[in-house]
Amino acid sequence: MKDCALSVEELSKRYPRAGGFRRFPALSGVSFELDRGEILGFLGPNGAGKTTTIKCILGLLRPDSGVLAVFGSPPASPAVRARLGYVPENPDYDDSFTPLEYLSVFASMRGIRHSDEASRALLGRVGLSGWGGTRLRRLSKGMKQRLSLALALQSRPDLLVMDEPTGGLDPGARKEFRDIILEENGRGASIFLSSHILSEVETVCDRAVILSSGRVVASGSLDELLRSEDLWRIAYTRGGTAGSESVHRAGLQDRIDALRASGAEIEEVARHFRSLEDVFLTATEGAAR
Amino acid sequence: MRRILAFSGMTVRMLARRRTIWGVCALTALALLGIGLIPSYGVASSGWFVLDLGMSAMELGGLVLAIGLGAGIFPRDRETRILLPLLAVPLSRGGYISGRFLGGAFVQIAMTLLWAVALMIVMLARGLPVPGGFLVSCALLGIEGCFLLSVVVALGFRVSPPLNAPLTFLGFIICSLGRQDFISLLPGAPGAMGLLWTALPHMAVFHVKDAIMHGFRVPPGFVLLAVLYGVSYTLLTLSLAYASFSRRDLR
Repeated sequence: MKDCALSVEELSKRYPRAGGFRRFPALSGVSFELDRGEILGFLGPNGAGKTTTIKCILGLLRPDSGVLAVFGSPPASPAVRARLGYVPENPDYDDSFTPLEYLSVFASMRGIRHSDEASRALLGRVGLSGWGGTRLRRLSKGMKQRLSLALALQSRPDLLVMDEPTGGLDPGARKEFRDIILEENGRGASIFLSSHILSEVETVCDRAVILSSGRVVASGSLDELLRSEDLWRIAYTRGGTAGSESVHRAGLQDRIDALRASGAEIEEVARHFRSLEDVFLTATEGAAR
Repeated sequence: MRRILAFSGMTVRMLARRRTIWGVCALTALALLGIGLIPSYGVASSGWFVLDLGMSAMELGGLVLAIGLGAGIFPRDRETRILLPLLAVPLSRGGYISGRFLGGAFVQIAMTLLWAVALMIVMLARGLPVPGGFLVSCALLGIEGCFLLSVVVALGFRVSPPLNAPLTFLGFIICSLGRQDFISLLPGAPGAMGLLWTALPHMAVFHVKDAIMHGFRVPPGFVLLAVLYGVSYTLLTLSLAYASFSRRDLR
């Protein structure tokens, strides 16, 4: 097996249907890899199997079949989990605790040295300066999300698994989260980012995997996914009005000739790049059909 | 072990901040104070009567406290999703069960001691003698409470808190029955019922109040055996909880 941060091969998981004996597939033969030091975007519509995959990575779910390795070892092993950081989706911690108390207890459970100064610095980094001693019942949803990030970063993890980390955050907070993701990646951490926010994935990720109905329907580097080899974009002006159209490569020259014949002035002919949203919708709609 | 102790410390803090726990504690303390008023009405032999009622109140309070402490632990952790980051950090499922149980057991024993002190104060304030062996008797009630807590925690992995409470209560009643009473539940199968009774834990092992009320000395060997008995059944129950939880998918 290749030496990578995370390797998933032919992962399958079925869930029992409520009140019945039949089981429905949540994941069917999902395979992908996350190289060391890489940021991988994990995309998919609701119910695609993203959280199921994450729970398999964390050892919280046992796959029915397939091989899953984190740094070359089974995900449930304590040595592996010591290198993991996890930011859950919509956490709702015990609200009688304070962020500093949580950081202190998690540090003890992880067996790492803890000091109030270090915890306050970490809270400052995630935007919770001055809130360390406040009970969680007084904190907003976004603040609890920031605490989740602080808890995940506490051990300087080699692999950061994030499940919709910026869901429910305002744009400013999202940018702060993105900056922290890039900082963590900059120090060498591999990032597995599950997100609905396509612009976020487009901004920070090196590669993306798109999941639909429990199957991988597209994957690759963002350049590969966004570039359409067959489509070219022609920008032109005609009678003082600007226009553009996308044309298949095979018909490109004919279309340019036709536009010129109609009196249009060709401004630019360039390879057509799609948005991640186009790629996402094409891939997931294609899978649904 | 340090991780489990850190987690159990977190559990103690969490439980100590719940109002329901203090409510159970206050109600039991009020019951003990109420029992202390009995001599005013001239009940004959009020010394042993107060002790008998007081320790019964402590036992019942221990049962209610165990339910209050343990029934909601796992469902609540699951609902708030704290379970996921807890098990994502290096805390095994066995560590999770042990940490939560140890934290709960600490609170259970602390409350039992608190009630014991309250009962002693009530008795002394009324000029009633506190018999030798009183604290031993209370300690055994604490062991019983810890065993009941392990049952509640184990059931908590399978049933919701509203079902957990009556099931634990039913189990407590069944385990408090004598052999003949137990067999009379299903008189058609005396052999099987007798075997089942033998296998079940017996709450009577932890009750030495009758002996101390009448001035008998409780042999240290018996106390030691009762403690071992309680610890063994507690470990067995927690092992069953681990067997149920260790391979469970956390969806």
